[in-house]
Parts: sequence; structure tokens; C-alpha cells
Amino acid sequence: MFAIVEGPLVVGEIISGAFRPDCGAVATFIGTTREDATEGARVEYLEYEAYRPMADRKLAEIGREIAERWDVREVRIVHRIGRVGLGEPSVVIVVAAPRRGAAFEASRYAIERIKQVVPIWKREVWSDGYVWVGSQVGTRPAARALR
Amino acid sequence: MSGMNGTRAVRVLLFGAAADQAGARELELQVRDGATLGDLWNELTGRYPGLTPMGDTLAFAVNQEYAGMERRVSPGDEVAILPPVSGG
Repeated sequence: MFAIVEGPLVVGEIISGAFRPDCGAVATFIGTTREDATEGARVEYLEYEAYRPMADRKLAEIGREIAERWDVREVRIVHRIGRVGLGEPSVVIVVAAPRRGAAFEASRYAIERIKQVVPIWKREVWSDGYVWVGSQVGTRPAARALR
Repeated sequence: MSGMNGTRAVRVLLFGAAADQAGARELELQVRDGATLGDLWNELTGRYPGLTPMGDTLAFAVNQEYAGMERRVSPGDEVAILPPVSGG
């Protein structure tokens, strides 16, 4: 199951949906939004945007890559877009496999690939402006200096 | 040759920092026969010089798949300008 959704992720349901009788291991990776602060400014929330449906297709491609490399029986990736408050899940990855080694390795692979190939972007909205993560372009005093 | 939408235009979508730098999220560009993504990029930076400094960091997609600068673009195609992705 691969999805891009607006609104809070119902983590428990995403995980328990991957339980299967032929699997003895379910590995979960949850990415949560992190508070960052510098002298005099702090992150207030994050905002994600996606290029759809390319981003949806790339998530499914990662699932196929995993199936080619490991013996896994279920891969779920759900990514949240829109405004996400601090400390909230932005992505949930669940891999069910007969054995734990494959489940651990495949879930790590999934998050690394998401950060390489899936067209999703996040913007940190700070108390003094915003910055696009990865591009370092934005309206914060430090980001403006780079333009 | 006319595209399926009956125009000679390519639809260009910009995301994240690229949309900021251009001051536009979606636009249409006319393309001549045989034009490549590189030609389209040159035209785009002529219109939106703010994009130029981002050039080395950007990726491009044609019809929702990553493509190199030599890729031909035709009327009716959807081209996307993609800054470094930062999901997760």
C-alpha cells in the first residue's frame, strides 16, 4: 500500500494492516518533524508538497525495488503532505517479512530511496521566514543571503 | 505538429524553491519542432532569471518521469522543474 495523504497519519492502523500469518517480523520506520532552533528563531511547523501522480508512482517503484532485493511480503509507505506540526509523523514505512533481517534492511532502504527519488519537498516555516529544505532558498534572513 | 490539446505549447510545472524563484507554479511555453529540454530550460531562464542560480541543483521530468537535458519535448508534454527532493 502506497499513499500520499493530507491530514494526520493513523500510525497504528497503517502498521497493523501489514500483519500476516506468513511473516514473523514487521519493521516500522516513522519519520517525524523535528524542532530546530537557532539564536533568536525557531521552526514553527513544516509544510510538504508533492508532484503527483509522479510521487505516488515513485513510492510504488520503491516497493518493487524492495521486492526484487528481499523476501518481504508486504510494504506500506504513507507520506503526509500539507502542514505538519512539530513532532508529528510525516512518513510511515512498514515492511512485513518472514524474517527480521529483511524487514529491517528493507525499511531502511525505503526511507533512503524516498529521500533520493520521490518528488516531495518540505519547507520549514520559522518564526523569521521560511526555507526550502535541500535548496536552502526562502525568505529567512540566512536563506535570502544565498540568493 | 499539433499536440493532443490542439496547441503547440508545453505545460511547465514548477515546485518548491523553483516555483519561488520563478514566481510561478505553472506556465505554458511554445516549443519548436525538435526542441529539447535544454532548449526549454534556456527559454525558461530567459523569462525567469531567478531560476538560473538553481540550475545545477535541479532535476527535470517529462510526462512524470525523470529526463535528461537532451530529451526531446513536444507540444502537449508536461515538463516539471524539480528542486532537490526533501521528503521524509
